[in-house]
Amino acid sequence: MTAKPDPFIHPITRLSICGLLAAGADWVEFAALRDAAEISDSVLSKQSVMLEDAGYVEVRKGAVGRRPRTWFRLTAKGRRALEDHLAWLGQLEETVSAATRDATQGADDPENERTAPPAVPSSAD
Amino acid sequence: MRDTARNPVALDLLQVQRNRLADRMRPPWWYLPGCAVAWAVGFTGQFSLRYLPRVDYWAVGIATVAVWGLLQWGLTRATGIQIGPRPLRVLQDGLFYYRPGRRAAIAMFVVCLAVGQVQFRLLRHGQLAAAIAAAVLGVAAEVVLQSAWLRQIRQALRDGGGTE
Repeated sequence: MTAKPDPFIHPITRLSICGLLAAGADWVEFAALRDAAEISDSVLSKQSVMLEDAGYVEVRKGAVGRRPRTWFRLTAKGRRALEDHLAWLGQLEETVSAATRDATQGADDPENERTAPPAVPSSAD
Repeated sequence: MRDTARNPVALDLLQVQRNRLADRMRPPWWYLPGCAVAWAVGFTGQFSLRYLPRVDYWAVGIATVAVWGLLQWGLTRATGIQIGPRPLRVLQDGLFYYRPGRRAAIAMFVVCLAVGQVQFRLLRHGQLAAAIAAAVLGVAAEVVLQSAWLRQIRQALRDGGGTE
């Protein structure tokens, strides 16, 4: 395991927000992010404030006519953390797949040793 | 162990969400026709340079940039996703810092220069009809490339290939 997990973006909602913001857009509007992640307004508001406080996300508020609009962008710090975390998740997925494969093969051969998957950090909500 | 079992699911879920975001990145009906208008205005530059006073040449350039800016603003408003290179980042990181759709953007730039050159040479030899035909072909090529640019950005959104 070379990539490091980031406990702060391990919860699925924050991982979704960061993953969507890193996908190739510069800024993503509140409603677009909410719909893509399929989360409620309140959850997105709460999690985005936490991400902003941690320096992972930049928030820009504006208005179109009378309607307020909020835009989000991933910061360089957030991008680095996400890339590391996704790399770690990818490695973990491979490890779990290999362990499952070994376990399936090991069912025929009881003397085979099973490899325990690596530990997962606790999520800081 | 519970979290370990959920991690591959998290990656799958992220992929589904990225697909959803990419699907949102469909241009409104007016976007591509608007791009055709913007390119058509842009390609009148060579004609105005030859047949109109210099001040009108600059007016054409300003009109093209204005139409282009309006289209990008409308696209951002309609989709809720701001894409493409930002002027300040271009000054800081260079013209091609924005990775999604880069191949199509380079092709658009090359076609733009090529059409300008062809028009310039044709007009110098007095071949007005051929120059108009070149402009029409140029507009068609640019609209196709504009569509490819959006397609490549949608693909980048799906793959998670963000900006640097």
